Amino acid sequence: MGTFFHRHRGATPYLLLAPGVLWLAIFFLIPLAFLGYESLQSGLFPSFEFTWQFSNFSDGIRDYHEQFIRSFVYAGIATAACLLLAYPLVYWIAFRAGPWRNLFLLFIVAPFFVTYLVRTIAWLNILADQGPVVSILRDLHILGPDGRLLATTFAVVSGITYNFFPFMALPIYVSLEQMDQRLLEAAKDLYASPTQAFIRVTLPLSAPGIVAGTLLTFIPAAGDFINAALLGTPNQAMIGNVIQSKFLESLDYPSAAALSFILMGLILVSLLVYARIVGSERLTG
Amino acid sequence: MNPRLTRQELLRRGAAGSALLAFPSLLAACGGGGGGSDTGEVNDVLNFSNWELYIDTPKTRKVAGLTGPTTLEQFTTKTGIKVNYFEDINSNSEYFATVQGRLRQGDGIGRDIIVSTDNDRFLGDYISNGWAQKLDKDLIPNISNLIAAQASPPFDPNREYSLPWFSGMDGIAWNTELTGPVTSVTQLLEDPKLKGKVGVWNSMGDTLGLVMLENGDDPAKVTDESFDRAIAVIQKAQDAGQIRRFYGNDYAQPLATGDLAASMAWSGDILNLGDPKVQWGIAEKGGIIWTDNMIIPTGGSVPTASTYMNFVYDPQIAAELSLGANYISSVTGVKDEASKLNPDAASNTLAFPTDDMLAQMHQNDPTMFANPEYTKKWLAVQGK
Amino acid sequence: MTTIAASPPRARRSVAARTWAFVKRHALMVYALLVVAYLMLPIAVVILFSFNKPAGKFNYVWEEFTFDNWVNWNSVLGIQDAIITSLKVGLLATVVATALGTLMAMAIVRHHFVGRGATNVLVFLPMSTPEIVLGASLLTLFLNTSSIFQLGFITIFIAHVMFIVSFVVVTVKARLIGFDRHLEEAAMDLGANEATTFRKVTLPLIAPAMLAAALLGFALSIDDFVITYFNAGGTQTFPIFVWGIARVAVPPQVNVVASAIFIVAIAFALTNVFWEYRSAKRTRGAT
Repeated sequence: MGTFFHRHRGATPYLLLAPGVLWLAIFFLIPLAFLGYESLQSGLFPSFEFTWQFSNFSDGIRDYHEQFIRSFVYAGIATAACLLLAYPLVYWIAFRAGPWRNLFLLFIVAPFFVTYLVRTIAWLNILADQGPVVSILRDLHILGPDGRLLATTFAVVSGITYNFFPFMALPIYVSLEQMDQRLLEAAKDLYASPTQAFIRVTLPLSAPGIVAGTLLTFIPAAGDFINAALLGTPNQAMIGNVIQSKFLESLDYPSAAALSFILMGLILVSLLVYARIVGSERLTG
Repeated sequence: MNPRLTRQELLRRGAAGSALLAFPSLLAACGGGGGGSDTGEVNDVLNFSNWELYIDTPKTRKVAGLTGPTTLEQFTTKTGIKVNYFEDINSNSEYFATVQGRLRQGDGIGRDIIVSTDNDRFLGDYISNGWAQKLDKDLIPNISNLIAAQASPPFDPNREYSLPWFSGMDGIAWNTELTGPVTSVTQLLEDPKLKGKVGVWNSMGDTLGLVMLENGDDPAKVTDESFDRAIAVIQKAQDAGQIRRFYGNDYAQPLATGDLAASMAWSGDILNLGDPKVQWGIAEKGGIIWTDNMIIPTGGSVPTASTYMNFVYDPQIAAELSLGANYISSVTGVKDEASKLNPDAASNTLAFPTDDMLAQMHQNDPTMFANPEYTKKWLAVQGK
Repeated sequence: MTTIAASPPRARRSVAARTWAFVKRHALMVYALLVVAYLMLPIAVVILFSFNKPAGKFNYVWEEFTFDNWVNWNSVLGIQDAIITSLKVGLLATVVATALGTLMAMAIVRHHFVGRGATNVLVFLPMSTPEIVLGASLLTLFLNTSSIFQLGFITIFIAHVMFIVSFVVVTVKARLIGFDRHLEEAAMDLGANEATTFRKVTLPLIAPAMLAAALLGFALSIDDFVITYFNAGGTQTFPIFVWGIARVAVPPQVNVVASAIFIVAIAFALTNVFWEYRSAKRTRGAT
């Protein structure tokens, strides 16, 4: 009877999948196929021709490996920062916030209701060279007398971190919220210290959330362009910026398409490596 | 009137002549391009896409001391044509990217008039790909009010496809609390006192145009050597840490908050900033003037659009537009009309430049923008 | 001799020990509040500047305090339509994407079927694709099917569901992995069929995850610019409006609208807090 959910082959999974997969198939895969076709074209706008131009891919790697690497490094740092910042917060929300939890969940997501541009203008105000934050940091000699926070790698990575924070926080919350408190009580009964209980019980049980949050943060962050565009200098250009300019300014659609596929490929490879590390059941259940 | 511009016009006409010869073959290669357009009839609706806050509104009219209905409303009253006004252009490149697919297929985009800037590749692309329809000049007698300097631009030597909407000037702005006046591009890019607090644009025409003028080269006739010279100057300043960032139009905030001591800046932005501690001036060796042009895309109604263009080339209407939006008009007599309506505002040289100022202005060479080598080098300087 | 661990009598603990215990107990909360403060810092500035009266058209530097912007919040042409469109698309797309995504998550986690790996890859692909090419290639699809899809609200809605679904799937999956099936089995043992079990047992248990996913989805939708811009025709959502106007001005009304959404949402959440408080009290009173 309970086995109905586990082993019933047949149509159920396909029925459940159908609407979503159909939506993605039509509105994502078909455009993606067109993108693939474009990636093997050559020529100048507007007369592109399909010529099996695989050199678009090799040229892309050759010319922009620096930006690719930088994107993954920035995304990685931002993901780690999000994890460290978010976990204690959502732990508190899940276990200690009581009736206030939904309010705090809203606080996590609220920055998105204020458009990206508007909150970036606010950050540009807060972190301005002559603003309070930089002044304090200069007084504390954390920053040199000419030091600045904006137009730096720090600014770009911080921007990515701030922007993707909810994507890390909410999945972890989802995982923690469902945890059975009695397991913690059992651990305490067995003489575990709070730290031990956390490490041996809570952390592993929240692992699916951590994995989900890591993916939801890292993957889109790698392709991000807007933070580097508004907060960075040429030294911080990410692959997203390259693709953006290839598409909009150079009108080099084949190159832009090829670079996008390389990015997707690299992300999928990272996923495989990650799945191997954490164990693929954590990824897929 | 404007001696320098006239000389340049002559030079350009030479170049334009050869370009004209190329035009018919270009159009033939594109198969004629333009899809089904008008039936010769004026419609009762005009669909007009423009940049945001680029026209007079009740609020801006009040601030400018103008009474009465907006120019769009006046147009409807006069001609009976209703205007659907879309403010959906926020970037030449992004707008182009969203419409090029339809235009390539020969389809219309649901607009009779769109606006694109002349110092980027896209305006030229619309015209050279056959995606802009010819104006019906019989319906635009006011075209005679177009100022001489704009009569024969390189991308449209006979003004067959486009007419200016507003212009802006490229110059240098500085924060008076952080530095004295910054009067030359060299000072901007090399003065060690400004290190790390200098802004330049991320658009090729504007930044390299000013640098070329500083180098003594003509931005209206770009050669490989003059381009490389200009790139080298920017690269040097970037490597030395002089340039803080390459900006779009977002340099206004850092100038106001003091993150930038000085920056290449558009006259309109500084006017709109309204901050007395941010001053603007034309660089010693001259500035670049850019112009947003109206064109009629494929599928647009030529008679309806032409009727509207004629309306806005009336000096009185042009004055109201200029006062209401704070940008530079290309219609003769606009300054006199504006003085009648609001003498104070009309004396603001950022919106109503003097002949002296205009004499220092130059235009970009449109062949520079679509050159893939140049684009590649320019993007490389920005890390892209 | 061993003693069972027990806390020493209160009176004998030193001040230091008591302070340390206090700090340990509240450290987490303090930390949490600090992180929330960090998250809210720009929002505070946005709300503050909504009361600003800027000298020019840009709202960058504080000038003076005024209520004008709140009174005349929709005096900037287009802002009202833009925010209403954003909210409509957001709610609609979130509801649909949450439904589709939850179904997909259930299929992936609970069933072993042919194509499971491929489905997982399919879920991750939209997230890995840069927005600009995602938006532009979707536009190409719409252009080639222009008889069915007219650019406008519908195409924005379709695009939003498309890129939100993946986030919903991954978030709900995190809940379903580790879901205690025994509860469902117990329900079935007690005579419920699959549908009833789903409705009365499964759904309430995964509801918090669906809510979290929906929050995430709504946030994605209301803040999206690039994909929306490419597929909007001339329709304006709030981000499109803001990006468009920013070339020339950043009027305080933009801050007003943004702050208003935030405040309304917080108000909803506060009523929810109040509600939970009351029902908690009631259940305590009933026992």
